[in-house]
Amino acid sequence: MIKTISIKIVLLSLILFGLNGIYSAFFLEKDLREKSTEALKIRDTQSKTDVYYFGESSNITYLPGDSIENSISEITNFFFPKIKITNINKYATHGGIYKHWLKEIDLNVNKPKALIITLNLRSFDAAWIHSKLETQLQESLVLTRPYPALFNRFCLSLQAFDNKTEKQREQEMLEDWRTQQLKFPTPFKYKTVSEWDYGMSQGTYLKEDGSWDSDKIVLACHYIKSYAFNLNESNPRIKDFDEIVNWCNLNDMKLYLNLMAENSEYADSLVGKELVFLMAQNRDFLVKRYTKGNCVVVDNLSLVSGKDFIDQNWTTEHYNYKGRMAIAKNLAGHLKDQFKTEYKLAY
Amino acid sequence: MLFNSLHFLFFLPVVVALYYLLPHKFRWVLIFFASCYFYMAFVPKYILILFLIILIDYFSALAIEAAKGRNRLYWLVASLLSNIVLLSFFKYFNFLNLNLQQVFLFFGKEFHPLNLDIILPIGLSFHTFQSMSYTIEVYRGKQRAERHLGYFANYVLFFPQMVAGPIERYDSLGNELKKEITPVYKNFSDGFRLILFGLFVKMAIADNIAPIVNEVYHDPLKYSSSQVLAAVLFFSFQIYADFYGYSTIALGCARLLGITIMDNFKTPYLSRSISEFWSRWHISLSTWFRDYLYIPLGGNRVKLPRWSFNILIVFMVSGLWHGASWTFVIWGALHGLMLLLERYFSLIFKFEIKKQWSVLNILLTIKTFVLTSFIWIFFRAESFSNAGDVFTAIFGGNTISNYENSFYVPVVFIVILMLSDLVLYNSRFDNKLSEYRTPYRWMVYTILLFCLLAFSGTQKFAFIYFQF
Repeated sequence: MIKTISIKIVLLSLILFGLNGIYSAFFLEKDLREKSTEALKIRDTQSKTDVYYFGESSNITYLPGDSIENSISEITNFFFPKIKITNINKYATHGGIYKHWLKEIDLNVNKPKALIITLNLRSFDAAWIHSKLETQLQESLVLTRPYPALFNRFCLSLQAFDNKTEKQREQEMLEDWRTQQLKFPTPFKYKTVSEWDYGMSQGTYLKEDGSWDSDKIVLACHYIKSYAFNLNESNPRIKDFDEIVNWCNLNDMKLYLNLMAENSEYADSLVGKELVFLMAQNRDFLVKRYTKGNCVVVDNLSLVSGKDFIDQNWTTEHYNYKGRMAIAKNLAGHLKDQFKTEYKLAY
Repeated sequence: MLFNSLHFLFFLPVVVALYYLLPHKFRWVLIFFASCYFYMAFVPKYILILFLIILIDYFSALAIEAAKGRNRLYWLVASLLSNIVLLSFFKYFNFLNLNLQQVFLFFGKEFHPLNLDIILPIGLSFHTFQSMSYTIEVYRGKQRAERHLGYFANYVLFFPQMVAGPIERYDSLGNELKKEITPVYKNFSDGFRLILFGLFVKMAIADNIAPIVNEVYHDPLKYSSSQVLAAVLFFSFQIYADFYGYSTIALGCARLLGITIMDNFKTPYLSRSISEFWSRWHISLSTWFRDYLYIPLGGNRVKLPRWSFNILIVFMVSGLWHGASWTFVIWGALHGLMLLLERYFSLIFKFEIKKQWSVLNILLTIKTFVLTSFIWIFFRAESFSNAGDVFTAIFGGNTISNYENSFYVPVVFIVILMLSDLVLYNSRFDNKLSEYRTPYRWMVYTILLFCLLAFSGTQKFAFIYFQF
């Protein structure tokens, strides 16, 4: 019986090997187009790309009626007309996704001269880490895992990836808000996001008639939940960006981490200086940690004025054309050091 | 734990390997803990309900056997009531309250029912029915009460069939679990064949159809008549592939352990009448209702009006067994009604279906399929208004198409399913495959494997019958 089973296992392995070849040759691309568009775009554009720009909605969102509707990466490209900046975008992406996109770059085909990766401060917060969109993002990575393509496809059918339910993710987020201790240089009455959020919700803002200004309270609470955290090495996104930086150093590729602007003005006016302190402290942590070797942190944190944010009633990194142009110009200023001869003043 | 999960694909080989490594006298312990682990992967605390059912029926059966005269009946009633109360509490409590509220409203009174936030334990209807069949058989004197609590627990808990059947009887599964089994090559080959085929049917066929059906049923009025009609027909195949796939995997898993469980399906869509359909669809449930409800009500040894009443009662209860909603009751009632009409027709016109295939039989098969497909609308719809929307959409003549995805892949797989049914008519996949020569068998394996690995649905859907 052992002999029979052994022969059949060998035969089965050969069949699987052949089927994997057939799937990779004829069906994989269709599945990638459906589930992993970004990975496919990287593969397709690599031969004619000088610089990749990895980002989320901050790059491509514009205000209807903007005098220019170009993305930040496109505006940046205006400064370097002779080089090709290709943007790879997906809503709600973060370091944990970008590090997988890097693996799609085949350095033997055409090594890009530089990488620009969006560094979004909010992507380090518990709400984004445990976002309900994470399942979809994780699903988009399954087909590009470093295993046989047919196995990856089967894993996709089995939903064998980080496939937590929305409820599970929400519980993890609430747990983080409840347990992660906030650290300030001077004593502060709230120790956690939950406490701060609760404190803020207790009638901080009143209207002239004495009733609660619930819109303002909700927005202030949202700012707390978005920015109240102390970055440190245990943050999963820090680990992701560490991997990205290491990969770039290992492959001798210039990396620009484009730290997006946040609405510090509103954070200050709605919540107070403690929140602005945390934002600045986290920015300093990122700049200090990643400004080394091939990596440059492009600090745009306070570059955009509060009125140039598209979403005035929520925390996003969506800017009108003025905001996008300011960030693109700052980024181009940093790129200029590397692409001196290609640089041309666009505005 | 779902059969179509990576978790299960690791769990099963470990259990099978340990099963054959352990001496026979310890295997029941392995099966017990493996089954508990399997079940607890869903909602761990609900295992306590199962333990309660096991204890109630284990001790009731012993008491029935020990008692004399009417005391036997009292013990049986106590056992059945306990099972039904448990089932009703988890499955029908909110349904009952909702209906009471409607009745009160009808009489102009207010009633504020207690609405419990209960999740129905997976497969509860299956466990209770299986366990109840045991105490009834002990009461009837056809089955000796089991002394070994472990074996009895395994009869209720046996992981391949615990959450969606087949609903086994103690004289078959109970005895199978006690057999001393040595590793036999045929058990492994049959087991793997059945699992491969079952996974193919569930993941490549049912899960590719499910997104279309879900989308159309969600808002049928958005789609054209032909698209809604297609979705209605697709659902017939989806539920068949889903449940048939599950049952085939269950058979395969049990076979790997050397245990035989009953077939739950025999190519039901090749039935020429509704009565034949019910002898081929969910056979373990049909036979349960036949043995424990239909026959005690008098079966077919009563006059036609009483028989008609019996049939309607059995089918309506069967509908209610599926779900706590009037749509399920109507689904059951319509099946009962169709069965009655068939019977009256054959009585009036002295019509009998001949066994050999003919054009008439093909037309009758199509008729049965179309009828069951339309009746499935009540099973699939979330409410009467949803079912009404489906009918309105089909017969409303809407030609505006809102469905953009292709029907191509599901249709190809449906054709494969029907072809396989034609080949497997009155047979089963593992047995049929044994008739083929090795190269042909391996060709079938290769095709199934490729379809399973490369074309399975990319959204995972739990087995439909898990909710019952």
